[in-house]
Amino acid sequence: MQISVDHFELSIIFALLVSIVLGLVTKRTNRERVHYAAYCFGCFMLALFSIGWFMRVLHG
Amino acid sequence: MWDFPIVIHAFASHDPAKIKMMPAVPAGASASAPLRSPFLTVILAWLIPGGGHFLLRRRGRAAILFCVVLATFLIGVLMRGPLFQPSAAGDVLSRLIQYGGFIGDLATGLCYFVSVWLGYAPPDQAGHTPEYGSKIIVAAGLLNILAMVDAYEIATRQKD
Repeated sequence: MQISVDHFELSIIFALLVSIVLGLVTKRTNRERVHYAAYCFGCFMLALFSIGWFMRVLHG
Repeated sequence: MWDFPIVIHAFASHDPAKIKMMPAVPAGASASAPLRSPFLTVILAWLIPGGGHFLLRRRGRAAILFCVVLATFLIGVLMRGPLFQPSAAGDVLSRLIQYGGFIGDLATGLCYFVSVWLGYAPPDQAGHTPEYGSKIIVAAGLLNILAMVDAYEIATRQKD
């Protein structure tokens, strides 16, 4: 059995999993953890789309 | 080292009323974590993702860490990502990548040992899917290292 995930899908999965762990280990209260995880996920998404569009413009 | 209160004397006046008792734990951390050996905690956290937190009675966090690290590892395995092998062949950069990847794989603890024991050794074939799979297995190990550091800090009462 082998799953096939493209770069975009894997980036979203990776961002979600890493954001959860970062929120969990860096903050003290549950509220702070949820906020920080959401913030990290947002930053990942921003970087993903920014770099994606930058490469699109660069390569045409 | 934080088990006993630290007494600071007011040297200037020797007035007992000015003796201050400092808390046994740093500000922001509570003494609710059971006393466990930090070494044992880190070893358990390495072998079983979230195991260190479970030992320290942080069961919710332990369950989340276990699920996240295991899910990351399984995604990599389902993508048939090959495991890194320490190899002395190649140039310095290749060796650095191989050894670094091997340490990342090894950091997943029992996930790595069980998969090797079950004979998981996909060939290093061309294609983006196995390539991503290999990297995401390393990412699982790095997430587990974050969990190990967190468990160590809880065990040494640096955080709650």
